[in-house]
Amino acid sequence: MAFLEQHIHDEPKTFISKYVISYDHKVIGKQFLWYGIFWLLVGGLMAMLIRWTLAYPGVPFPLIGSLLFPHTGGVVPPDTYAMLFTMHGTIMIFFAITPILIGAFGNFCIPLMIGARDMIFPTLNMLSFWFSMASGALLLISLCLPLGAAAGGWTSYPTLSTTLGSPGAGQTLWLLSLFLFGASSTMGAVNYITTVITLRAPGMDYFKMPLTIWGIWLTSILNAIFVPVLGAGLILLTFDRVFGTTFFLAGAAATSGKGDPVLFQHVFWIFGHPEVYILILPAWGIVSDLLSFFSRKPAFGYKMTALSLTAITILSTVVYGHHMYTTQMSPLLTQSFMTLTMLISMPSAVFFANWLGTLWKGSIRFTSPMLFSLGVVFVFGLGGLTGLYLASTSIDLYLHDTYFVVGHFHYTMAASVLLGGFAGTYFWFPKMFGRMMDEKLAKIHFWTTMIPLNGIFTGMMMMGWAGMHRRLYNPFIYEFTQNLMPLNKFVTYCAIAMGFAQFTFLYNFFKTIFGKNIPQASSNPWDVGTLEWTIPSPAPHYNFKEIPHVKCGPHELGNPNLTDGKDFQYQTEELVKA
Amino acid sequence: MATKAQIQEEKVFQNSVAMTVTLIAFGMMFATLFLGYFLVRANTAVWPPVEIQNMPKLLPFLSTLVMGLSSLTYLKMEKSESQRSLYWILTFALGIVFLVLQWILWGALKEKGILVSNGNVPSMVIAFTWIHAAHILLGLIALSWLGKYVLKKKEELTVIKLMNVGKFWHFLGVIWLLIYLMMFVL
Amino acid sequence: MSISFSERLLGLISNAYEISAKSVSFWESFQPPEDISSNGHLIEWLFYYTTYVNLFWFALVVIGLFGFSFLYSQKRHKKPVYTHGNEKKHLFITAFIAVGVFLSVDLVITKVSSRDMKESFWNFDDSGDTVKVQVLAQQWAWNFRYAGTDGEFNTADDVVTLNNLRVPMGKKIFLQMTSKDVIHAFYLPNARIKADAIPGRFSKLWFDANKAGEYEIACAEMCGTHHYLMKAQLTVMTQEDFASWVNESQSMAIATNDTEDVNLRWGWKWGSK
Repeated sequence: MAFLEQHIHDEPKTFISKYVISYDHKVIGKQFLWYGIFWLLVGGLMAMLIRWTLAYPGVPFPLIGSLLFPHTGGVVPPDTYAMLFTMHGTIMIFFAITPILIGAFGNFCIPLMIGARDMIFPTLNMLSFWFSMASGALLLISLCLPLGAAAGGWTSYPTLSTTLGSPGAGQTLWLLSLFLFGASSTMGAVNYITTVITLRAPGMDYFKMPLTIWGIWLTSILNAIFVPVLGAGLILLTFDRVFGTTFFLAGAAATSGKGDPVLFQHVFWIFGHPEVYILILPAWGIVSDLLSFFSRKPAFGYKMTALSLTAITILSTVVYGHHMYTTQMSPLLTQSFMTLTMLISMPSAVFFANWLGTLWKGSIRFTSPMLFSLGVVFVFGLGGLTGLYLASTSIDLYLHDTYFVVGHFHYTMAASVLLGGFAGTYFWFPKMFGRMMDEKLAKIHFWTTMIPLNGIFTGMMMMGWAGMHRRLYNPFIYEFTQNLMPLNKFVTYCAIAMGFAQFTFLYNFFKTIFGKNIPQASSNPWDVGTLEWTIPSPAPHYNFKEIPHVKCGPHELGNPNLTDGKDFQYQTEELVKA
Repeated sequence: MATKAQIQEEKVFQNSVAMTVTLIAFGMMFATLFLGYFLVRANTAVWPPVEIQNMPKLLPFLSTLVMGLSSLTYLKMEKSESQRSLYWILTFALGIVFLVLQWILWGALKEKGILVSNGNVPSMVIAFTWIHAAHILLGLIALSWLGKYVLKKKEELTVIKLMNVGKFWHFLGVIWLLIYLMMFVL
Repeated sequence: MSISFSERLLGLISNAYEISAKSVSFWESFQPPEDISSNGHLIEWLFYYTTYVNLFWFALVVIGLFGFSFLYSQKRHKKPVYTHGNEKKHLFITAFIAVGVFLSVDLVITKVSSRDMKESFWNFDDSGDTVKVQVLAQQWAWNFRYAGTDGEFNTADDVVTLNNLRVPMGKKIFLQMTSKDVIHAFYLPNARIKADAIPGRFSKLWFDANKAGEYEIACAEMCGTHHYLMKAQLTVMTQEDFASWVNESQSMAIATNDTEDVNLRWGWKWGSK
């Protein structure tokens, strides 16, 4: 394939063109990282408020409670509680995880790892970031409204999310904000897909791409196809709220015409189920790479891993119905969705086997990125296996909408993705900022996150099995939840511990970027052979002086035939054979 | 080093990849709307319902003609180099005419008392035409961006620009045809 | 329907603190509420089966994760084995694991689940001596309607209760439900069942109760600010008690029936769509 010429433009000089309206994929990646970390803090604070209310209903939130809720003396009021869990979900999914895993790593890694000078459409890239800024701003504004922000759960099922159940502009702003977010995501997806297809360096076949790129690329395909589906649902719901249409209204409250609230659930989950894979695929990709890099041996069954990720991507599009068993679809449909959902366990088993195979007989270096990657294997194992309960139609009769579901999806979407995100951040930090983060603090961060994290989410699943259902302001008005009071307190303590542990990360992150006397990172601190490590740290303007020619796979480590003293090969080197 | 022709070929390829992905994205959005339509239709006892029987027939037919014509003039614009400006103006004008016709259609519906909040079928007809019209606006913006190169900076006009805007414009034509067929004909 | 929510709120909260947690063992405190139905054990069986199989597979992951981390750390194992894991035997092992997962987990759960649903939970044959109840959910209360002696719903002898579902022991109870405003979900943890009550649709559910007493019904789907207060009581009575209660309430219902008030006639024809 003839290779496209990529011009080198002059480096921008002014602050605005360099750091604000930047067209450089590396700067945009970092912008997404800052943006994501900001929202992670907001969403995290909301999680603390939620957890506190669940463990101590009616007790003022310590320290800052009286500042946040002066009229109740620091107690979270019930309507605010509903708003909090709605916003916690929305923020964490769309404004924290998506920007960090897809926005930051997608932007930063794709051109560097496939050997390109930039994304193919830098302007689109810049617009994508500023669209998500605008959508974030709308969400922030909605938090300040007199009637409060959206409070119908992050899924915003009608008819609760129509004017019938939530008057006030908060829900409308939520819809607009998500619509803008969707536009931003779609732009990003178009850019990523095209970049990976067209800008791979000469010799970089699909099966020589690092698995990180595989993950992000598959995610982008899902994004491009399914985010517009959500867009359509959001438009129709907005019409219901603003123009008085009745697409999703039914029952006694629908005076003119009769719509169907379940239609929205279908549309939402056609998008929503791929969305959970959109979030997890980049993390899987990153972990697959890092496990190989730090075991100092090639990724076990590289091709199988890539193909099983692809298989999961395809399967993820046809299983959405398992979110809706309780709406009582036809038995045939319900059973098909159960069977299809169960099939996902096979490709998952394949890449789990490959992950463990990568560790097998390696020479494992327990650096912080590696620790976090091993953490992902552990928590995703738990998260994936607990999905089996919920895929089963009969167990779901009991467990649907209980804390078991909450525990399960936090294991998969929050714990795995967060740990994967941290692994990526520690790993690419030297290439992003040219400095090394403190390893000791990073390891403390890992253990102080990992232990309470399992306390929280296992605790949640136990509560769910004991019958406690979701989104309760005060769970203890029920008799059958009385026994769970101590467990709820335990989970809250764990959550607080995990929340505080993140300050280790923040301190480490900011200190390394802005501190003085921080040692500079070498161009390849981890001894890894993918393309981004062939150039200096931080990555220079326009990345590669000469577009590299790729000659071997991304995980050529531990080759016994190597004679030059290093135990890995750059992708630009010919594979050494015996 | 790649030759100029090769580079050109590459650029066409990468742009058509991007445009294809974009159209898939837009297509999925409309497909979702159509899914809603089919569900509503399946749950409506008599089709066409009274509201659709009462709707003006001529106006949407004219819109369809205009949309089709504009696609033809676009094709002409791509082909004929000498009369490119003329065909660009025609295409753009037809786009405007389409929007005006839609405006008249909404007015006519309003006069007959068919409002967007009047139940499922009117909601759907009006909401879909609104959403489509919003995309036509996007298309017109793209056309005027193209016009800059057709009318003024002729040397910077490339096949890729013509091709991509064209794909989007024809796509909107196809969507309109589907809406027309589903709402007013079948 | 005029219910003072502040009153209910206060009542329920003070209730909650009066019933201070009974002393239960650590293990018991995580157990699901008592099973009073004849089908609940099916769900429990499948849950525990899944748990054991999951524990087996997860144990393999943990052994691999910690075992390999211990055995092959840089200190103990300096020279990594150079393999791409794409030899025939590697593929065979991977395929073996995938098939093992499929057979042990997917196949069994799918089969058992489908069987349980078909034979028990979806078996909506309401002929014979059964009790039929219509349920209307609203923000934030449950309305229950019994047909009375004429067996027809929406007639003058209908018995209507608020937040109290009374059922006789040992009979099958069939529920049809819908909602007045937003989506709710009827959740009866003691029978391990749940179904959404959706405006504009009827969903159905059936259960039986084998133990007299009072149990709790909750709303499991987020339905607004006071979602957590949407609680009803399930009263399981002996069949004689139930019959006399129906008789008594029915005559009261006929005596106080107000034919003018259309709001009282929210019922529907049983089985209509």
